[in-house]
Amino acid sequence: MTEVRGPLTGLRVLELADEKGQFCGKLLGDLGADVVKIEPPGGEPCRHVGPFLDDIPHPERSLSFWYYNTSKRGITLGLATADGRALFRRLAAEADVILETFQPGRLAAMGLDHDSLREQNPGLILCSLTPFGQTGPWRDFLSSDLLHLAAGGEMASSGYDAADVPDAPPIAPGGGQAWHMGCHFAYISIMAALVYRTVSGLGQYIDVSIHEACALTTEAAIANYVYRGEVLLRQTGRHHAAGVTPRTQFRAKDGTYVTALVGGRLTPKYIGELADLLDSNGMAGDLRDPKYQDAAVIAANSSHIIEDLVGGYIASLPAEEVYHAAQKRGFTWGAVRTPEEVLDDPHLQDRDFWQQVEHPDLGRSFVYPGAAAIYHDSPWRISRRAPLIGEHNAEIYCEELGLFRGELSVLSESQAI
Amino acid sequence: MPRPRALENIRVVDFSWVRAGPWATRWLGALGAEIIKIEWPESERGRLPSSTTPRDVEVNLNTSGNFNDTNVNKKSLSLNVRSPKGLEIVKRLIGISDIVIENFSSRVLRNWGLGYEAMCEIKPDIVYVSMSGYGHTGRNHQYTTFGPVAQSVAGLTYLSGLPDKPPAGWGWSYMDDTGGMYGAMCALTGLYHRNQTGRGQHIDLSQMVSSVPLNGPALLDITANGRGSRRAGFPPGNRAHWPGTPLINNYRGPTVAPHNAYRTHPGGYNDWCVIVCHSDQEWQRLAQVMGAPVWAAADKFATVAGRLEHQEELDAHIENWSQTLGKYELTELSQAAGVRALPVQSAEDRVEHDPQLRDRRMYLPMEHPALGVHKVQNAPFKMSETPAENHLPSPLIGQHTREIVEGLLGFSREELRAGFADGTFWPTQRARFPYMEDMLR
Repeated sequence: MTEVRGPLTGLRVLELADEKGQFCGKLLGDLGADVVKIEPPGGEPCRHVGPFLDDIPHPERSLSFWYYNTSKRGITLGLATADGRALFRRLAAEADVILETFQPGRLAAMGLDHDSLREQNPGLILCSLTPFGQTGPWRDFLSSDLLHLAAGGEMASSGYDAADVPDAPPIAPGGGQAWHMGCHFAYISIMAALVYRTVSGLGQYIDVSIHEACALTTEAAIANYVYRGEVLLRQTGRHHAAGVTPRTQFRAKDGTYVTALVGGRLTPKYIGELADLLDSNGMAGDLRDPKYQDAAVIAANSSHIIEDLVGGYIASLPAEEVYHAAQKRGFTWGAVRTPEEVLDDPHLQDRDFWQQVEHPDLGRSFVYPGAAAIYHDSPWRISRRAPLIGEHNAEIYCEELGLFRGELSVLSESQAI
Repeated sequence: MPRPRALENIRVVDFSWVRAGPWATRWLGALGAEIIKIEWPESERGRLPSSTTPRDVEVNLNTSGNFNDTNVNKKSLSLNVRSPKGLEIVKRLIGISDIVIENFSSRVLRNWGLGYEAMCEIKPDIVYVSMSGYGHTGRNHQYTTFGPVAQSVAGLTYLSGLPDKPPAGWGWSYMDDTGGMYGAMCALTGLYHRNQTGRGQHIDLSQMVSSVPLNGPALLDITANGRGSRRAGFPPGNRAHWPGTPLINNYRGPTVAPHNAYRTHPGGYNDWCVIVCHSDQEWQRLAQVMGAPVWAAADKFATVAGRLEHQEELDAHIENWSQTLGKYELTELSQAAGVRALPVQSAEDRVEHDPQLRDRRMYLPMEHPALGVHKVQNAPFKMSETPAENHLPSPLIGQHTREIVEGLLGFSREELRAGFADGTFWPTQRARFPYMEDMLR
């Protein structure tokens, strides 16, 4: 039996990426590509971002770096040196994809732009993933996750009702999502270029802007403005809207929250189903009153139904219980969970979602989040933990490029690797 | 000569509705695939209800602005798939297509007789992407999601907010946008794999499951360090760290100060700038931009540790200054000096005031037959050989029915008329749009 391999098996990707692009490299690697992460001598600065294993700061113990660099091999290479650039050209000659996140113009200044690299490799796809793209008045502006979520529009949509937090600022959701937004679009553009290459044989240059990716990730906000001239309000735990909409986030008995989308759905049929759900914990109140078969009565009492009855029902049970009871009856509701609560979800275990990843250097393995989707013919799997600094220098420089071990030492002393 | 497109000659049978699925196929369409959107007015979700119809336009199946932006680059076939004749037509279409994509609940297509095995009998190398709430396997596969529910259950909602307050969450369906991204990613990856190996496959995407890896470092903090997220000072709003709580990384990047949103002149709802200093050097530059005030020279602000410890005072000082400037003015002054600052931008700001998005031609006008000329969002990537450009406005419902059944499937005009008469292409009791009458002539 042949080994079942990921859909991108056989692809060679060179990753010259920091926090902006490492997630895209991970996606390519977890899906089977041979991703070689090229770090500056001494290691990529993202290795200094916490949290760290056991809270001991060390470039090999950053959990953030671990997470974003699975399924990659790692080498060090000093592009500031002529030897380093020559080695990079040799690697680029054999690569399918290069992903880079340098400041615009930096690769060209080193003579390593797409035009020069493709002379030796016409099928090469070079993707530059940068904060604002390669052109425009903000091209050289500095950025960060928070800055992108501000300018991209995410913050303008997220925050609090005045009743919950008076005078609240716009809120930037956490987790480094601006980088994810950029990486998803970068992945799409790289895959499109790869599909095109399977029929044309040609590579190409791709200029991806994280700012534009973020600006595209606010659902209907742009359409609300373009077609209606509306600027939207921020509301606690629910959608932005042109005017205040009913609450959808309710406090459960255990002090955590439930997302229950009820407003806008209140038909007589829905009221009947809702009464059954609430009644399952003796909390139906007056919801079985025949008056609620009249749409006008429902409308006049929607705040009573949502605030008193739905809110009261949710307050009577722990959030997880509400979630499952509601979903089993066909209500699209959910518990607002923390990451640690997600870890215990048996549905994810059924889907074989969590992966044990070996860290042989530590003699331990750790549980990582795995595949977003199940590919039935070519699995999405983490193939190895993040590389140690220069872990694959000998493997790639000596075994693949044919350098002698002595040459490695010389190159290391001159900061070329 | 027109430029080639990356997905030239790729055809997609698109059953998707609402937002996440259509957002996926929109990008496949921009990349050049022919997207055949299969719709039925009686069970349509995405066109109606519409809250984005221009005020002077009648609300109907063809006038949702958000539908237009979400469905550019597609063709529409109105078809009753629940009729034997409709199902037969779908099967013929799948036989000449490369990708099938849908975002129904987990059993819908199988119940129609269009499970993956049935598709393979018609087209052995089909790439089938299902985008359901919880996936097609697992004990809760019949649960359903909207973006906000997937975000809640997967742990994303909790990440957003101020400490000791309810979660602020996401003010929109992040996982409809991002679910769409994953739908497109799966389709392209499956297509590449098919081109390399000759084999198609079923790719079972779940909106809820795909939300979980967007929280990776927080999950490793629990699996490797045993540290949960219900803790003092988390989530820390826009800050990297909440004053007076233990110094623990918050999974957004480096733990530094300043790192916050600050009010700007003239104090309107969206008059805010965010400012971040990643190093002492960047802090010194900010101090210069602020005019080197005496307070900023205090020793307690000279180091990251000091600025984190005295963050409340630091933020109050910075906001006193930021309120004297407009948000674009503050941005320009700061960035010119090498300080990380950008404005909070509403949709209006992005469309009308953002000089970068204007320069990059992010919003270009496009004419739609029922809505007129409006700006539509463009791709955030520029491909040198195969540009991804919007080339069709969103389709009117059933607009391409004749083109598809006659042009692609070889039906005669008589068969088309018969299909309209027997309720295959449009409900017999429902008024037809004028363009349908034209089709039947």
